[in-house]
Amino acid sequence: MRLNKEDLRRTLQSYGTVLALLAIVLAFSAIRPGSFCTLTNFINITRQISLLVVISLGATVVMSVGEFDLSVGEMASLGGVMAAQMAVAGAPLAVCFTLPILASAVVGLINGWVVARFQALSFITTLGMSTVLSGVVYRLSGGATVFENIPDGFSALGTAKLGRVPLLSVLMAAFVLIFWFVMRHTPAGRKFYAIGGGEEAARIAGIRVKKYKVLAFVLCAVMACATGMLIASRVGSANTTAGDGYFLKSYAAVFIGCTASRRGVPNVLGTLLGAAILGVLANGLTMLQMPTYMQDIITGAIIVLSVVAQRLGREDGR
Amino acid sequence: MRSVAESLGLELDLRKTAAELSPPQRTCLEIVRAQMRECRLLILDEPTAALTDREAERLFSVVRTLKEKGTAILYVTHRLDEIFRLTDRVTVLRNGAVVDTVETGSVDRERLIAMMTDSVPVRAASRRRNFGGVLLAARDVASRDGSVLSGELCVRSGEILGLFGLGGSGRTELLECVYGYRPMSAGTVELSGVTQTRPTPASSLQNGMALICEDRRGKALIGNLDVRDNILLTSIDRFTIGGVLHRKAEDAAVRTQIDALQIKLAGMGQRIAELSGGNQQKAVFARAMMTSPKVFLCDEPTQAVDVLTRDEIHRLLRQKADEGCGVVFVSSELSELLEVADTIQVMRRGCTVRRWENENLTAQQVLSCCYET
Repeated sequence: MRLNKEDLRRTLQSYGTVLALLAIVLAFSAIRPGSFCTLTNFINITRQISLLVVISLGATVVMSVGEFDLSVGEMASLGGVMAAQMAVAGAPLAVCFTLPILASAVVGLINGWVVARFQALSFITTLGMSTVLSGVVYRLSGGATVFENIPDGFSALGTAKLGRVPLLSVLMAAFVLIFWFVMRHTPAGRKFYAIGGGEEAARIAGIRVKKYKVLAFVLCAVMACATGMLIASRVGSANTTAGDGYFLKSYAAVFIGCTASRRGVPNVLGTLLGAAILGVLANGLTMLQMPTYMQDIITGAIIVLSVVAQRLGREDGR
Repeated sequence: MRSVAESLGLELDLRKTAAELSPPQRTCLEIVRAQMRECRLLILDEPTAALTDREAERLFSVVRTLKEKGTAILYVTHRLDEIFRLTDRVTVLRNGAVVDTVETGSVDRERLIAMMTDSVPVRAASRRRNFGGVLLAARDVASRDGSVLSGELCVRSGEILGLFGLGGSGRTELLECVYGYRPMSAGTVELSGVTQTRPTPASSLQNGMALICEDRRGKALIGNLDVRDNILLTSIDRFTIGGVLHRKAEDAAVRTQIDALQIKLAGMGQRIAELSGGNQQKAVFARAMMTSPKVFLCDEPTQAVDVLTRDEIHRLLRQKADEGCGVVFVSSELSELLEVADTIQVMRRGCTVRRWENENLTAQQVLSCCYET
């Protein structure tokens, strides 16, 4: 088959990201066939990326309406601390895991309302919120990790396994499925993308822009909170900075995911792909005993590249 | 800088920021800036647009001072009285071409207006004289931003109402107010028997009104969505079963509109930005048709479309009117309005000033109404 330039470009645009993931997997498999290319390791990778995927799904929604939520990291830390403290205080586990969700919904509501009502820059608004949340975390925890007297049941969500598959991986798959369905097959998803594509056009078409922007921020905060609680459950303690590392990586996953879309927009399967690329890289590089700083350099470079690729992908994008 | 300002007889507080100055002071500031370097040709593009009459007087005296000092001035305006007060020669442009350059003293108002008007005889289209009941009535509409001060709109069943006004007269803004996109500070909009003081796009669509925007790329279409999703934009909630989008029903409805309007495309999944201007505009109309409106607000619906599509759009709107709909048609091309509209209404400086039956109406009559001050 002869490919002309245009065809090649389109093919790369559609499948480039998948090919990149495959290439990375093949490279590591070639170098470390015994340890990397095993079913156990692949299952392990799904568990390793599960938390990143969950938090990135929320970021995907916020980015689909053309906004950012930079408070996801602190929100995750806060979620973990709240849940762990309630568990220590002896609250029923169901309450431990639902009250923080409600609290995070309120945070998302405030973020979204400020951004939608005052047309404030979401970048700065949520950066401010992030600082507020870090203060709240400190107020609640006194800056110390919550780990003493956490009941055994608290860790079940993060550590249980269904056969060989960790519950976290199953939860991730469920969330991906739900978000994929919402974004692709419900009016809400269609409206998110319309707002992200052209806010004024969406408003004129009768879409309630403010309402859906607020909804996007609420979903994002809730997913961040859920991630934080799962992190706490997984490690059996709540670190006050547990969510910090997830903020940049989640947006990296979303940006890489954009490149997997023909239109260059955030999308659920792309985000999963992006998180997988980051996860496989981290897993493989660790196996090669690459120093952490090299991992940082490689991961960072990939993030920058994906942002460029995402811009190039939208032909009319200016 | 002070010496330049004084030489022009201007008083400017040099320590204020530009935002703190009044509109005429800002215009003067720009003139002073131009004079900082030896400026031999000064181009003023509608300098009085934002000024009150008294402020304009001050600007005029500055312009005269500059003229005496030997600066050549190119003064662009749509206000005819300024031409007669300030200029020595006048060049008339029409449809992007120079009509003529004449000594100002050798022409009068009527002659100028005649030069600005197409002298092409207006094609008598099949106009109507008998209309049904009132579909849309907007009274005393004022926008919060002051671009519309007192707007009226009354469209009857079967009528195409042509709305004309010079740039900045508030015609686009009036449509946006009535539709509920631009916030209103006063007035009522009565549509399908429902009277509202604060309409919203959603309520307007619900009550049977559609807006075709002038700004096609910014306000009508979403460039990175495909044709299908763009056409479905106003009816996202309509084709659902238990809260889930029903793609087959959507596709069928979109297909019907694409066929009816003969939109040329590679497929429904093609990105809207890839279509030609005419086909993009047809897609905008296809979206409007999806909600089966009774009233169409069309703002420059034929700009940047090919001649064939232009005719198709004219025919489509006439057909809709014949089916009992009402149409508001805004165009900055007066000849187009005289050809298409049953009734013509003029806006000037945010107010609707006059309304005629489009019978034996000449472009001169309409234009002179726009220029009266």
